Amino acid sequence: MSNSHTTAMQSGQTLGRSQAMVREARHLLFTVTPGAAWIILFLVLPSVYLMAVAFMTNGPYGLPQMPLSLESFKQLAGFGFLGWSPGNIYTLLRSLWQTFLATALVVIVAYPIAYYISTCREKWRPLMLLAVVVPSWTNQVIRAFGWMNLLAPGTPLSSFAETLGLISPNMGLYPSNFAVTLGLAYNFLPFMVLPLYAAFEKLDTAQVEAAQDLYATPFKAFWHAVFPQTLPGLLAGVVLVAIPAFGMYVVPELLGGGKGMMLGNLVATQFSGGSNWPLGAAGAILMLIATFIGLFAMRRIGKRLGGGEEVVI
Amino acid sequence: MTDFTTAVDATGRADSAAPSGEDTGEQSHLQRGASSITLQGLHKRFGRDAVALDGVDLTIEAGEFFTLLGPSGCGKTTLLRILAGLEEADEGQLNIGGKDVIDVPPHHRSVNTVFQSYALFPHLSVRENLAFGLKMRGMPAAQREQKVAEIAQFIKLGDLVDRRIDQLSGGQRQRIALARALVCEPDVLLLDEPLSALDAGLRSQLQVELLRVQKRLGMTFVFVTHDQDEAMVMSDRIAVLNGGKIQQVGAPREVYERPSNAFVARFMGHDNLYRVTARNGNRLTTELGELEVEQDGGGDLVLIRPETLDLKPGHVEGVNHLHGRIAERLYRGSHAEFRLELAGTTLQAVVNNRGKHMPDVGDEVTVLVAPEDLVTLSE
Amino acid sequence: MNKRAMRRGLTTFWWLTVVFLYLPLAVVMLFSFNASNSAARMTGFSLRWYHQLLGNEQIMSAFANTLILAVISSVIALAIGCMIGYGMYRHRHRKLGWLIILIYLPIVLPDIVFGISEMAFFVQFHRLTGFLQPGLTTMIIAHVTFQIPFVALIVYSRFVGLDPTLFEAAKDLYASPVKRVVHFMLPTIKPALISAFFLSFTLSVDDFVISFFTSGPESATLPIYIWGAIKKGISPEINAIATLMIGAVALAAVFSLMFNRRRA
Repeated sequence: MSNSHTTAMQSGQTLGRSQAMVREARHLLFTVTPGAAWIILFLVLPSVYLMAVAFMTNGPYGLPQMPLSLESFKQLAGFGFLGWSPGNIYTLLRSLWQTFLATALVVIVAYPIAYYISTCREKWRPLMLLAVVVPSWTNQVIRAFGWMNLLAPGTPLSSFAETLGLISPNMGLYPSNFAVTLGLAYNFLPFMVLPLYAAFEKLDTAQVEAAQDLYATPFKAFWHAVFPQTLPGLLAGVVLVAIPAFGMYVVPELLGGGKGMMLGNLVATQFSGGSNWPLGAAGAILMLIATFIGLFAMRRIGKRLGGGEEVVI
Repeated sequence: MTDFTTAVDATGRADSAAPSGEDTGEQSHLQRGASSITLQGLHKRFGRDAVALDGVDLTIEAGEFFTLLGPSGCGKTTLLRILAGLEEADEGQLNIGGKDVIDVPPHHRSVNTVFQSYALFPHLSVRENLAFGLKMRGMPAAQREQKVAEIAQFIKLGDLVDRRIDQLSGGQRQRIALARALVCEPDVLLLDEPLSALDAGLRSQLQVELLRVQKRLGMTFVFVTHDQDEAMVMSDRIAVLNGGKIQQVGAPREVYERPSNAFVARFMGHDNLYRVTARNGNRLTTELGELEVEQDGGGDLVLIRPETLDLKPGHVEGVNHLHGRIAERLYRGSHAEFRLELAGTTLQAVVNNRGKHMPDVGDEVTVLVAPEDLVTLSE
Repeated sequence: MNKRAMRRGLTTFWWLTVVFLYLPLAVVMLFSFNASNSAARMTGFSLRWYHQLLGNEQIMSAFANTLILAVISSVIALAIGCMIGYGMYRHRHRKLGWLIILIYLPIVLPDIVFGISEMAFFVQFHRLTGFLQPGLTTMIIAHVTFQIPFVALIVYSRFVGLDPTLFEAAKDLYASPVKRVVHFMLPTIKPALISAFFLSFTLSVDDFVISFFTSGPESATLPIYIWGAIKKGISPEINAIATLMIGAVALAAVFSLMFNRRRA
C-alpha cells in the first residue's frame, strides 16, 4: 500500500510551538504572580529593609537614620556611651546556652519516645504521634502561661522543689532560667520526635539482629547498628529545635523574668520600646545567619536522609 | 473482580438471546457519528531534536475501525493526541468530517478519547462521570439522564452506574471510560491503548465487546496499540508507524501477508527474511538457494512466512524444494514450531498438527515453499 | 537489663511524657473553672470566669478581631495560595527554584525576624505615604504572607497526586477553560482546599509574635490581650479565654486533618 509521502504542506500553520510557549509562560505568570509578588512585597522587601537598618545610625524615637555605620554591631557587642558593658554579650551567651540545654533535654526525651512509638502496634502509631503534636497547636503564649501556673511559688511543683532544697523558700520555680529551658524544650519536643520517628520507622531490623549476633552487649549493638541509622533524623531534629529556640521570644519573656533575656527579647525590645532599631536589626541579622546555617545543614542532612522531612505543624 | 463477572454474564446472556452481528433490534437511539479523517503533511517535534511525526499523510474512512500500530516512540500516540486536539501539530492539515480542525481546541472538537489510564474523575460518581461531557456541552439535566440511561443499557453497565469510581475494577473502569466517551456521540472515537492495563483473559473479552460496539454504532474508531495481534483482530485497516513515519497502511491481511518493508515484516512477527543476491525473471537467487516467486515486487529481501511451509521427510527434489535438518522443535499441541538449519542459515517453520507424522530433531527434511506465498520487499 | 523491664520502663516514660505535654494545658483548663481567683489552689467549681468574659468589652473586641483576622486572611491566602499551588503543579517541569525558595521563606524565617521586618516596613511605609497604619489591615497582610506557603504546598501536593490525564479528559469532554476550573479542578481539590483553610485559620489564631509586631492600638487579638493580661499580673479570666481557644484550635486542626486524610 501507500508508502509514499506527499510533500509536507508548507501551509500557514504558524500556530505551533512558539505561540504555545507564550501561552504557557503567560499562564505561569498569571498563577504565580499574585503570590510571588505578595511575598516579595511584604516579606522580602521588609527583610531587606531590616538588613539595611542594621547598617544605619540610631536616631530619635529609635528610628534609623543616615549615615551608614557599623555602630549597631558595636552596640550589640556591648560598646555603648559608657564604654563596654557585658549585658548584651551575656544575653548572647545565655541564648546559646539555653538553646544547647533545651536541645539536649529534647534529645534525651524524644529519642526513647520516638523509639517507643516505632515499636508500638501500627494502628496506634499515628494516634501517638498526634498526641505528641497536638499541644503545639495551642498558642505558645497560652502554653507558657500554663507553665507559669505550674511553676509559680506555692504550686505543688515549687513546694516539692523547696522540700528537696533545690530552691530557696517562696521563690518558686518561675521566673528562672530553669523555667525557660523547660518552656523551650516543651515547645520544640514534637520537632525532634517526628524526624526521629521517621528514622526509627525506616530502621533496618536485619542489621540490628546481625549486630546482636556480632556484638556481645546490647549497648554495643545499639551503638554500631541502631544509632548510626537514626543519626540523620537526630541531626534534622537538632536543626529544627535549635534554630527556632535560638530566636525564641515568648518563652524567655514570660518564664525568664529580667535575668532570663535571650537574643529574641533583646531584638524585640529595640523595636517595641522604640529605643534602637539599628541595634535590633543587627540582632536580627545574627538570627538570620543562624537560620541559614541551619538550613544549609538541613540540606546536607536531607541529602543523606534521601527525602524531604515534612514537619507536621 | 467478582462484580465484573456478573456484569459480563449479563452481556453473555443478552448475546445468547440475540446472536451477535444481527442484533440490531436492541440498538439504542445513539446517533451514529461517523466522519472521515484526512491528515496531510503532519509534523511534530518535541524540543529541539525529538521528532515525533515526520510528515504523516493519511485518510481514515467514515465508520472504519482504524488502528495505529507501532513500537513505543513511533509517534502513534502523538498522532492520536493531535486528532484529539491535546497536542498541536507544528505543521500540516487535519480534516475531520470535512472540517478543518487544526486550530480547534479539544473542547470544541466533536472527538472523544478513551484514555489508557481511563482518567475517570475521582470526585464524581459513575453516573456523573458519564454525564460530564453532556453537561459541559450544556445539555439539560433531564435529557442528560436519558442519554446516560441509554448508554448504560447499551454498554450493559447494569448497577455499575451507582458506584463510586474507587469501587470499580480495572475492566469496569475501562467500560465506564468507553461509555463516557460514547455517550457524547462524537464524530470520531479515539482509543489510546485502552486494553493494555488489563490481564490477558479480560483483554480478549473486551476486544470482542469493543469490536461489537463499533460495528453496531458504525462509528469511526481510531485505535492505538503496540500489539500486532490486537491490531489484526480488531481493525478494518492498520497503519504501521515507525520513527514518526507511516510504513504501511492496509487491511490486516495485507499488512501481515504482504508487508511493504522489512520493518513492517519484523514488527508483524516475521523472522524469515533472506537476502536476494540475483534475479532472473521470476527466479530469485537467495541466501537459501533458488526460489521461484509468483510476483516479484522488487526489493532485495524475500519473506517466507513460517506457517506457509510444508515439511516432507527425506530428500525430495523439485522447484522451491529446500533441504535441511531439524535443529529444534517446540511442540505446542495444536501446532509445532521448527528451527531448521539449511544452506548455512536458519529457517523457522510452523506446521499444524494434523495427527500425522511429525519430524523430530536431527531429521533430514524437505521444505516446500509455494511461489504465491513468497513476498519480496526492501529493507 | 532484661527486655521486659526495659519495655515497662519505656511505657512508663511514654506516659510521663504525655503528662508533661498535657499538664500545662490541663492546668489552664482546670483553673478556668476555679471558684476562687487563686492561681495555686482549686477551691471549687464555677463558671464565673466565663461569665466575666462576656461582660469584658476588651475581650469581646479581641475575640472579634481574632475571628475577622483569621477568616479574612485565610480566604485571601486560600485564593492566592491555590493559584500558586496550581502554577507550581502545571509548570513543575520548569526550573522553579526561585519560586520554591520564595515559598519556603515565610516558613523558615524566625517569627521574631518576620515580625519586626513587617513592623519596620509598615511603620516607615506609613510615615512616608500615610497608608497602611499598623492595625487590622497590616495584620491581615502579615498573616496572609505566612499562610500562602502552607496553602500552596497542600494544593500542590493534591494536584501531584492526581492522574495527569484527568486534565486532558476534562478538555476532551468539552469543558472550556472556565468550566475546567469550576467543574473539574475545584471539586477535585476541594478536600485539600478545606484542609488548607482550616490550617490557615489555625495558624492565624495561633500566631502571637507576628500579630504582636504588626498590630495597632485598636487591633489587639486574643493572644495579644492574653499577653497583656499576663504582663499586668495573672487574672483567672485568662484561663477561661485560653480554654476556649484551646478547644477552638483543636477543633479546627482536627477538621484540617480529617479533610487532608480524605484523599482518593
